[in-house]
Amino acid sequence: MRDLIREQVDEEFEMDMTPMIDVVFLLIIFFLCIDFKVLEAKLPAYLPKDVGAHSTDVEPQEKLEIKIVCTNWGTESPRYKKRPEGSYRLEGHQIHWEVGPKKLREIDKLLEELKRIAKDKSKMQTDPKTGEPKLMGVVVEPTEETTYGDVALTVDAVTNAGFTDVNFGGGMGARGSAEADKRRSMRSGR
Amino acid sequence: MSKATKHVQEELEMDMTPMIDCVFLLMIFFVLVIDLSQQDLEDLILPKALYAVPDDQPADVRPIVNIAQSGNIIYKKNQWADPKVADKQYTEDIHKLLVYWRDNVCKKENIKKETVGGGMTMTVVDDPVLIRADKWTEWHYVGKFMTACTQKDAAFWKLELAMSEEDKEAKLQK
Repeated sequence: MRDLIREQVDEEFEMDMTPMIDVVFLLIIFFLCIDFKVLEAKLPAYLPKDVGAHSTDVEPQEKLEIKIVCTNWGTESPRYKKRPEGSYRLEGHQIHWEVGPKKLREIDKLLEELKRIAKDKSKMQTDPKTGEPKLMGVVVEPTEETTYGDVALTVDAVTNAGFTDVNFGGGMGARGSAEADKRRSMRSGR
Repeated sequence: MSKATKHVQEELEMDMTPMIDCVFLLMIFFVLVIDLSQQDLEDLILPKALYAVPDDQPADVRPIVNIAQSGNIIYKKNQWADPKVADKQYTEDIHKLLVYWRDNVCKKENIKKETVGGGMTMTVVDDPVLIRADKWTEWHYVGKFMTACTQKDAAFWKLELAMSEEDKEAKLQK
């Protein structure tokens, strides 16, 4: 009888490893899969609602124009070594920004200039809908051979400087197209 | 009941715990891997943004367009426009996609008439559009898409530019 009780007590003390292994597997799967999730963010932008409307009785408001000019397209290199036919990355791609008469070559300088403008009280306008004072809007004008990354960098700086009304303008033409070449020659001839 | 019979009965009792554990494991695996919301997203390297808002609370209805480096316009794994065809056709194909969204994807209550400059009334879509383009996609193609959005019978005006919270290209180069 005493032996039977001792055996029972021994059995109770045996540790069951199954739940721990289960939890470890769960954690492994969780951390393996979480890497597939895309960490994404967004920048808001707005398009004009009144394209095609010929408004004559609305006073146009001044906007800050930021032109993005590509000075060097760069060299296209395969992004993935195993798939050279896939997408590419650009090496040596260079751009500059034109804010009014100023030509800026670094994003930090652009940000500095935008912050300076945002602090300028003369750049405040009255919102025609609410009547409240607001910071003037910005028109980002990418030119030919600029990329989505260039524009994203610019919009990111514009947002950081405190501008909320971001629009897009400018004319383009795909790289190598007659339209793009014409625009480039027009700009360089200016 | 004899001791022997009782012993056999105990052995025959099936332990369901491991099976339930396995089912849970499989469920979690498939929930994480087959995330339906990720099907809208093409394998693109987005530019890194420092001041963008995390995309954790998207609008209920938000069409997502993917613009590849080639300029191909992809929606839900289907290619809608290819710039290799004539420029006019490319623009028309983008327009078809926008009209499709307006008629079939967007909420009817978010398509509103609004008075714009000059007292003119325009019908505009208040649902936002998320534009996902590769870091090195020429802006020309994104610009074409935006121009099509502003057309009278599309009239999408709220845009969101997709960014990445980390520099994935730099990660690839390592």
